[in-house]
This record gives sequence, structure tokens and C-alpha cells, in this order.
Amino acid sequence: MSYQIISIAGLLYIIAMPIYIVYMLTKNKKLGFAATGMIFSGALIHIYGFIQRFKEMYSINHSFMRSIPITNLYESLVFFVLCIVLGYLFIEWKYKNKTFGVFVSIIAGITIGITDLLGITKEVQPLVPALKSNWLLAHVTLSFIAYAAFAISFITALIHIIMGTENKKSFKYIFSTSALGFMFFMFVSVILDVVTSSNPKSVKIFHSTLGNPSIGISLFSWLALFGTIFLFWGLSNRIIKIFENFKITPQFLEDVTYKAIAFGFPIFTIGGLVFGAIWADQAWGRYWGWDPKETWSLITWFVYAFYLHAKFIKGWKGTKTSMIAVIGFLVTMFTYLGVNLFLSGLHSYGSM
Amino acid sequence: MGKIDKWNDRVWNFFASVDLAVALFIIISIGAAIGTVIPQSIEPEPVIKFFSKFMSISSAHKAYEIVSLFDLNNLYHSWWFTFLLFMFALNLIVCSIDRLPSLLKSFKTSPKPYPLEILEKMPIKSTIEINNDKILEKVKEVFKKKGFLIHLFETKDGVQIQARKRSKTRLAVYLTHLSILIILAGALIGIFFGFRGSMNIVEGTGLNFAISDEGKAIPLGFEVRCDKFEVEYYENSGVPKAYRSYLKIIENGQPVKENIVIEVNHPFTYKGITFYQASYGFQPTEHAEFRFTYFDKKGKEHNISAHFEEKFKIPETSVNAFVIDFSPALGVDEAGRLFNMSTDMINPAVLVVFEEKGKQTQQWILSKIPETWETPYGRLRFNELWGAQFTGLQVRQDPGVPLIYIGSILMCVGLFICLFLRPLNYFVIVSKNKITFYSPTSKGMIEKQIDEIIKETKGDKA
Repeated sequence: MSYQIISIAGLLYIIAMPIYIVYMLTKNKKLGFAATGMIFSGALIHIYGFIQRFKEMYSINHSFMRSIPITNLYESLVFFVLCIVLGYLFIEWKYKNKTFGVFVSIIAGITIGITDLLGITKEVQPLVPALKSNWLLAHVTLSFIAYAAFAISFITALIHIIMGTENKKSFKYIFSTSALGFMFFMFVSVILDVVTSSNPKSVKIFHSTLGNPSIGISLFSWLALFGTIFLFWGLSNRIIKIFENFKITPQFLEDVTYKAIAFGFPIFTIGGLVFGAIWADQAWGRYWGWDPKETWSLITWFVYAFYLHAKFIKGWKGTKTSMIAVIGFLVTMFTYLGVNLFLSGLHSYGSM
Repeated sequence: MGKIDKWNDRVWNFFASVDLAVALFIIISIGAAIGTVIPQSIEPEPVIKFFSKFMSISSAHKAYEIVSLFDLNNLYHSWWFTFLLFMFALNLIVCSIDRLPSLLKSFKTSPKPYPLEILEKMPIKSTIEINNDKILEKVKEVFKKKGFLIHLFETKDGVQIQARKRSKTRLAVYLTHLSILIILAGALIGIFFGFRGSMNIVEGTGLNFAISDEGKAIPLGFEVRCDKFEVEYYENSGVPKAYRSYLKIIENGQPVKENIVIEVNHPFTYKGITFYQASYGFQPTEHAEFRFTYFDKKGKEHNISAHFEEKFKIPETSVNAFVIDFSPALGVDEAGRLFNMSTDMINPAVLVVFEEKGKQTQQWILSKIPETWETPYGRLRFNELWGAQFTGLQVRQDPGVPLIYIGSILMCVGLFICLFLRPLNYFVIVSKNKITFYSPTSKGMIEKQIDEIIKETKGDKA
């Protein structure tokens, strides 16, 4: 089945993470190749799994335009990760720089791991009438490509803030180091959750750590979480030194952040908003209805419009703009996941 | 007069400022976000129910008062949200009027040399020591080959070269802004000259009006009849595959359009009014009839229709039959008892009573299970219960839609030009023993291009 193939890809992404770390500490070129090779072969297997799933969908729907496997939460998470990994491999090749690999493998690992933990269905499902449209392919694919571009801008913006902020007590610095610390903790926790789960149906995220039935383990996990965050807060200036060894400058980070947004923003506008509006117009008889998904997409659009105006018209520079990029991605994630988990609306096929 | 001018200036500058635009981005976003959390309902119950999850009932009632004071339960149509969108449009217009003329002027006026102090402040600067008489020609050649427009000035610091490319793409920002205004205009036209409504038409009946969202009847000027409505399911499952309505348009008593089929994602338009398949439901009516096909011994098919409890004759026999029970979705529970799973026609079934010479037998006939069609009196297939479902149509007339499409296309074009075809500006000062490159925008791409240009000029030298 396609989801087993995709799980193997997820495993390779997770293994790539420590290799990237050791590579960054030792600057051993062979390890660098191994790390890239690990992510690259993960991506190949991932694409193979995606094509398999495409075939499984095609055998039900008999239409190429309507068989793109991005029709429920599991499939969308899988496609999202694939876009991030491919985007990252492009950047690694273009800039000859492997330093973001750590973060990409963390995000990819967490996301694929989560699909095992939320109890979401992985089976291929037939399309409900609302999704039977040729706009499915264009709208959903482009939206997720844009989300992935925003994810990459988030990573570079986060490193940029840590690198470019001297005052350790400033909000920006505490915020971004905590975010990094939390992501790292979540990565480890998700792996533990998957490894210790006996029955995949009943597993919950953080069940092996923060939400453990044993108070001792739970308490220890909370301490570990705050410890990790404190460690990241305290040690980030050392981590920065490692990045400087790889010729990563704040200028470079700001530039990649901008480029990812400049790529993602028009794609998001055309694929997410415009194609979404056209589809809604044909399916529901209104191009805009303030459905929560639509509203949050508009908010996402406003945040990135703010980023571009701050940068070009107001002439903001440095970590200030990167902070907007970080907020932009958090809003994007709420648009993608939060709306389906916490709010009700017409995009319910994205829920669990 | 002077005082009024000053005030005019202030008001103008307020609306022309990017600060206002940024403030509006943030306020509109927060406002819109609130609307996704608080239930959008004109009825008070859902709102109070929502707040009572977090507080006591009496506080929830107070919360509702605050909510309705600011229209937070009808936020997107409230006076203040409309006002914010209006401010947003005004800001866009004033901003563009404020900036566009000077940009257009800059295309026409011949460029002037920049003082060295200004160039020195630019974020990108790179200098190479070089001693070559022909260097000026070479730099010019490299820029020209790359498609740049060049202006030369003799200054006291040396020769200043201004190289520009794609400077007209700066207009694309205004195209994007214009597209937003076109979309807003389209939305306004839709609100004032269009309508939205819905209609529930029972199979076998027709309606000549729709009900607006506010509950008013909107006459259509023609009648829409529903000949049949059906839900198609995926094999062996309750997952719907398609909702389908077979419609007919009747005008002045004459059918003008027949055999119209609409599905989700496949609407139908007549006289500017578009009909969308939106919902459906179970609604038994007096005219509802059970439709059967009877296969006689010679294999001939007889179609039979009968109302509830109405007796019908089984062809070529002396048997009478009638329907005494119906289930849209007949299921069997663990104890073997029959029960109805749903009001959707997932598995329609009828309980038929057969009467022969005063002796009665009864049997469930399920339309999807051929084994149940076999009766002691021959093969009787249950086809459907017609006239017991209504189709829910969304009805809309919106003359603003073409503007929305035009605006959307312009927005995409504008954004792509804006972000992928940025204008390039270089300033070069060639003096006796060195050349210096400056660029006002701090883009990695531009830095790279300077490096390339430097490499090429050096390459020529070697």
C-alpha cells in the first residue's frame, strides 16, 4: 500500500536529521553527502509512494484531473512534506549549502510521524461530489506548493532572527529560540510516540512524553521541554557560530526568506485564492462567502502583503521583516490545520 | 485658506500613507479572524450556546449583548467591517493617485547624475582597481549586451553610468492595486444588482420563486420543475458519488428548456440566473408513487406505479398487491431485526402485501438486492419511490462576476510581474584607476549580477 512506502520515506527523513547535525559539527564532506543522499532517496521513495497512491485513486475515480491524492488530511500532509523536501533539495543544489537540512528533516519527520499519531485515515477514499471537479488539481496542488515555500521562508527567517539579534532578552530572540527548542522536543517526542505505540489506532501525540499516564514521566518530560527551550535560548549564539562556518550571513538568510515568499505569494494568490474562488463559484454559487478557510487564507495573504510592503515601501530591513515571515507561517499553519481542527466550515474533508 | 490647505494636505497624506495600509491589513485581519470564532448567526441561540461553553449562562447572555452591539455575529456585513473595507479601497485609490504621477514623470524626464554622497549610501557597493583606457567602453558593452538602457554623465568623480532595465515593471504594482479595486467593485455590483436565494423543489412539482437568505420570496419570472432527483452511491457503501436533479424550465405555460441535468460542480444558467445543486432531503408527499417493474413468465416487462396502500394488480394473474411500509435505508441489526438507518435513499425498500383469494402474504422488496425481487407470484423489481424527495437548489444572479474574473486575472498578472520581473538599477563610476558599482536594492541576485559584470569586464581585459 502507498502509505507503507511513504512511511519508509519518513523514516529516511528522520535518520537524515542526526547525520546533518554531525556533518555540521565535523564539516566532514562524506557525512554531508550521506545526509543529502538520505533525504534524496527519501524524496525518491516519497515520489514513488505518491505515484502509487495516484494510481490507487485513479482506479476509483477514472479521471486524471481528479485523482491527485490530496483529498484528505493525511494525503495533504504527505504532499506538503514532499513539496518542502523538493524545495529544500533545490535550494541545497542552488546555493551549495546543506545547513538548512537539519530543520527540513525535523519538519518532515514530525509531519510524517504525526500522520501515524492523529489516528487519521490513510486509506484511499472515493471523492465526495463537492471534490469532483477539475479545479481540484490546480487549487490544491498550488496551495500546498505555496505552503511549502512559506515553510522554507519560516526556517530561514527563524535562523536569521537568532543570528541577527544581539540582545538575548529581546522578545524576538526568546520567541524564535523557544520555537526551535519546541520543534526539536516535538521531533524527539513524535519518534518516541511512534516507537512505543502498541495500537496505532489509540495513540495520541505526546502520549509517551508530556501526556504520559505516569506522572513521573510526564513531569520529567515537561522539565525536559523547558530544559530544551532554555538550552536553545542559552546556546543559540554557539549554534550561530556553526552557521557562520558555512558562510551563512544574515544577508543571505534575508534574501532566501524574501525569495521563498516572493515565490510563494503569487502562487498562493492564484492557486489558493483565485482558483479557490472560481471553484467555489461553480460548486456553491458564490466566489467568496467568509467561510473560515477562506477568511484565514485572506488573513495569510494580508500578512505576506504586509511583509512585502514593509520591505519595499517602508524600507524595513533585517530581523523585523523576518519576524513577519515567521508570523506569516504560523498563520499559514492555522489556515491549513487549525481551521480544520478548531473551526467548522465547508472544507471539512480536510478534517480528521 | 492656508489653514484649510494644511488640513487638506493632512487628510490626503493620511490616506496616502503606507502606515494606514499596514494598519488596515492588521485590523481587517483581526476583525475577520474574530468572525471565524464567534458563530455567524442572526439568531441569538447559537451565539449564547457558544459563549456558555466558557462562562455561566447569565454571562453568556451579557456577552451576546456585546456581540450584537458590534454586530460580531454578522461581522462581515456589519457597518464597521464594511467601513474598514471602504477605507482599504480609499487608501488604495489615494495611494495610487499620490504616487503614480511622479513615477510616470520619472519615465519621461531625462535622468540626472546622482551626487556621490547618495551613491555611497546605497546598500550594494563593490569596487575593483583597474587601469585600462578602454574599460568604459567595455562596461558599456557588457550592460548593453544584457539589455540595459544606459545614460552617461561626466562628473567630477569620473564618468557616471546609469544602467536601467525593466524600469516599466514598477507600474505592475498599480495593476495589482487596480485589480483589487475591480474585485471590490464587482462585489458591490453583486450586492446591489444581484440576488442570492435557495429553493427546495419536491420531485414532480415546480416553483417560480426563490427564497432569499433574509427569507423573502424572489420571483424568477419562470417556473423550475424538478422531474426527478437522485443520489448515486459508490458501490456497497453509503458514500455519495453524485447528487443529480433533472429539471425543466416552464415559461408562460410552455416548457422552454427540458432535460436539464445539474450536479454539484455542474450548475445551469437560464436568463442570467444560475442554479446550483446544494442539498436535498426526504419529504413524502401525497403524489408520491412507488414504481415497480414486473417480469411476467414470457420475460415481458410491465411498469407499475402505485400510491401508498393503493391496490394494484399483478399483470396476468388474479393477485392484488399494495405497499404498507417503506424504508429509505433498510438495515438489519445484530439481533436480525430490520431498522431504518437514514432518511437518505441508501437502500430503499418496500413492504408489499400480496392478496390472492383472500389469503395475504407480505414481503420486503429491496431495490438494490435482486434476490428480494423474487416473489411467489413472479419477479417484481422495486425501482424507486418517486415524489418523496426534494432537491435543494442555490439560486444566484450576479452581474458582478465578470468583474471578479477580470480583477482576478489582472491581480495574478500584476503580482507575477511585480515579484518575478523586478526592475534593475545600477550606477557605475569609472574613474582613472578604478570602477565602482552601486545598486539601490539589496538583493542577492543583483549582487551576483554585479559579480558577473565585473568578471566579464575583467575577462575582456585578460
